[in-house]
Amino acid sequence: MEEPPVRGQEGEDDEDDEDGAGPEGALRKSPLQLTAEDVYDISYVVGRELMALGSDPRVTRLQFRIVRVLEMLETLVSEGSLAAEELRMERDNLRKEVEGLRRAGPAAGPEVNLGPDKMVVDLTDPNRPRFTLQELRDVLQERNRLKSQLLLAQEEVQCYKSGLIPAREGPGGRREKDTLVAQAGNASRNKEEKTIIRKLFSFRSGKQM
Amino acid sequence: MVIAAANPARSGRAESGSSAAAAERSGRMRSSLLPLGPPVSRDRIISSFPKWYTPDACLQLKEHFHGQVNAACQRRNTGTVGLSLSKVVVVGDLYVGKTSLIHRFCKNVFDHDYKATIGVDFEIERFEIAGIPYSLQIWDTAGQEKFKCIASAYYRGAQVIITAFDLTDVQTLEHTRQWLDDALRENEPGSCFVFLVGTKKDLLSRAACEQTEVEAVHLANSMQAEYWSVSAKTGENVNAFFSRVAALAFEQAVLQSLERRSSSQPQVGDGDLIRMEGSPSDTQETKRPSSLGCC
Repeated sequence: MEEPPVRGQEGEDDEDDEDGAGPEGALRKSPLQLTAEDVYDISYVVGRELMALGSDPRVTRLQFRIVRVLEMLETLVSEGSLAAEELRMERDNLRKEVEGLRRAGPAAGPEVNLGPDKMVVDLTDPNRPRFTLQELRDVLQERNRLKSQLLLAQEEVQCYKSGLIPAREGPGGRREKDTLVAQAGNASRNKEEKTIIRKLFSFRSGKQM
Repeated sequence: MVIAAANPARSGRAESGSSAAAAERSGRMRSSLLPLGPPVSRDRIISSFPKWYTPDACLQLKEHFHGQVNAACQRRNTGTVGLSLSKVVVVGDLYVGKTSLIHRFCKNVFDHDYKATIGVDFEIERFEIAGIPYSLQIWDTAGQEKFKCIASAYYRGAQVIITAFDLTDVQTLEHTRQWLDDALRENEPGSCFVFLVGTKKDLLSRAACEQTEVEAVHLANSMQAEYWSVSAKTGENVNAFFSRVAALAFEQAVLQSLERRSSSQPQVGDGDLIRMEGSPSDTQETKRPSSLGCC
């Protein structure tokens, strides 16, 4: 994403250079963008001006010094551009590598150095941990509550089923006294049962109509 | 007419059903199960005291119900015992077969595929012991470490702790001590019956089983636990084991109920002092799980 504009800039600079203000243009360039060609342009411009100063021995001596400085600059610039080129290549290689790793998926992902008792969660994994302990507790409690209600309902159904068979008394039978006491204390319950049955019957007849 | 005729047979249950539901509402889980539902199946009727597995590691050696218990049952004077659920907690390493053991007993099935229990599960099994209806609420806990913090919340108020291990994996036996300690920590000291159960008996030769049993019995004695070897796959000893659990828990519950009632009679002790605990019926229902006496 960032690469094309950078390249564009570099391209533009190169073009500027080429059709720029000739050899003089090299002197106006940023030292960071200087190339060996620019150094030759500079030496051409400087040489021409030195020549104009005539053949004074001091000028000649200065000319040698300037040539030496320009050679040093040439070395620096070409070395620098080589280093820059190498770095650019390395950067491009690394980018390619990162892209490859990203494409290879999470399994090959770079190892993150976490502290102790930490773990990495892959957000794209449908089986990743995502619910809290409290949520699990709540669900379990709800499940247990419903299960006990189900057991209750099942027993009640069984009660009604077995209650319809008159011979179905408790094993060994019950003593008369117990039965009487239970009957007496249970009038309200009988009423309740009747109303449930009445409800069932009215529901059925309602459906038929 | 049929309905009316059916009523007397069911009337006793129906009445106690509502008070049991009220008792349960005060409990932790609010299970509103009728303890006196339809008649229990024949193999849940316990009339004589079930025997131990080995006399070398058993909680008691007597072969009959306690005299007081027998008498109370005959008079049908067992207080609220017939209305209550006794809590059983099953703990142990993962994959030792806790769920399989419970399913074999409660549903008479065996699933060859392993499915880890998530957190906790429970089953309710109804018995008729010495003519009195009695229920066990059997809590199945997850063996996986990650669920321990959830399962351990269900240890409290257990009347029976069953620590299970795999007879073919001696490491699981070594871990039972830790499981037991964790479960006991949530309960009053001396309030629980402890059982040590070796599972997967069908996978061992008789000799290998006996060899492991020596070690297990030794450990059971140090835990003050009763030892059993079972197989959920074949069903060997499963019913006998749970009948033993139920009978011991039942007897203890009846004895405690009798003890409480005798101590709350006005002529015994200072009436005011005793009344501090609330009315006798309140006390019986709410205090029961935490006030279990000795084992």
